[in-house]
Amino acid sequence: MHIMEGFLPWQWCLVWWIVALPFILFGIYQLKKILAADRETLPLLGVTGGFIFILSALKLPSVTGSSSHPTGTGLSTISFGPWITSVVCAIVLLFQSLFLAHGGLSVLGANIVSMGIAGPVVGYGMYRLLRDTSVNIYITVFFVTALADIFTYVTTSLELALAYPAETGGFVSSFILFMGIFAVTQLPLAIIEGIVLALVFKYIVALKPDILVRLKIFSEEKIDNARNDAS
Amino acid sequence: MKFRYTLELLTVTALIAFCLVFLYTSSAMKGAGFAGSDNEGSGLIAELSGTPQENFTPLIPQWHPPGGEIESCLFALQAAIGGLFVGGVFGFWIGAQKKP
Repeated sequence: MHIMEGFLPWQWCLVWWIVALPFILFGIYQLKKILAADRETLPLLGVTGGFIFILSALKLPSVTGSSSHPTGTGLSTISFGPWITSVVCAIVLLFQSLFLAHGGLSVLGANIVSMGIAGPVVGYGMYRLLRDTSVNIYITVFFVTALADIFTYVTTSLELALAYPAETGGFVSSFILFMGIFAVTQLPLAIIEGIVLALVFKYIVALKPDILVRLKIFSEEKIDNARNDAS
Repeated sequence: MKFRYTLELLTVTALIAFCLVFLYTSSAMKGAGFAGSDNEGSGLIAELSGTPQENFTPLIPQWHPPGGEIESCLFALQAAIGGLFVGGVFGFWIGAQKKP
C-alpha cells in the first residue's frame, strides 16, 4: 500500500497530509488522556502497536504472483479506535520512509490515510456494528482485522486513481486497474491476518480480561462467554 | 468436554493452506517473481501518466538502503521491535498472573 516517494503530485501529497494531520493530532490527545487515566493500558498499547510493527514488515506472497504485506491494525482499532491507531501507523510509516525507502516524507500523509485512517475507520465501523450483537468476539476481531487490511489497499487504489485517472474511462477505469494490483493481491493476506489476530485476541482475553472490560472494548458478559468457550 | 483449541487449529490449518497455495502458484506461474505490489503500482502509475518510472524523482530527498541485504536487515529490525513489545507484554502479564 506504500505510494513511493515522488509518485504522487505535490498537490495530492498536500491534500492527504491535510486529511491525516487532524487524525494524528486528535490521536495524540486521546493517547495522552487514556494513559493519564489508566497506566495499565500501556501494555495493551504495546501489544496492539507491536503487531502493526511486526505484520507490516512481513512481505507475503499472494495468488497473483506478487507480494504484499498485512497491516496489523485490527487489534489496535478494536482496543483504542482509529485515532490512536493512526498515531502508531504514522510511527511505523515514518520508520519505513526514513530507513527503508518504502513510502516517503511527501507521500507519508497519503500512506497514513490509507493504512492508519481509512482502513481502521472501516474496521472500527464493523466493530461498532458487531459489538452489541450476539456475534462471537473472535469473529468480530476477524472481520474488523480483515476489513481494516483490505480497505487500506482499496484506499491506496483510490488515492492513486484520483491522481492518475486513465485517458479513457477516467477515474473509474484507473481505480479498477489499481484495485487489480492492490486489493486482489491483498484478499488472501487479509483473511490470514484476520484469523491470526483473532487467535492473538484469545490470549489477550485469557490474560487481561479486566482491561478489556475497563476500556469498554467488549461487555463483561461477552468476555466471560469467550473465556468459557476457551476453557 | 469442550474442545479448547478451535482457534489454534483453525490458524494452523489456514497457515498450512496459505503455504500450499503459495507452492502451487509459484510452480504454476512460471516466471512470477513475487515482486512487491507497491512496485507494480508504481509501474502502473508510469503507464497511466505516460512518464517512464525513472523520471519520477523524490519530492523530498530520500535515503535508500544500499542493497537488498541492508533492506532486509532493517525490515527484520522493524519486526523485531514489534516482537519485543508483544513478547515483553505477554511475559509481563503471565508473570503478573502467577504472583500470589
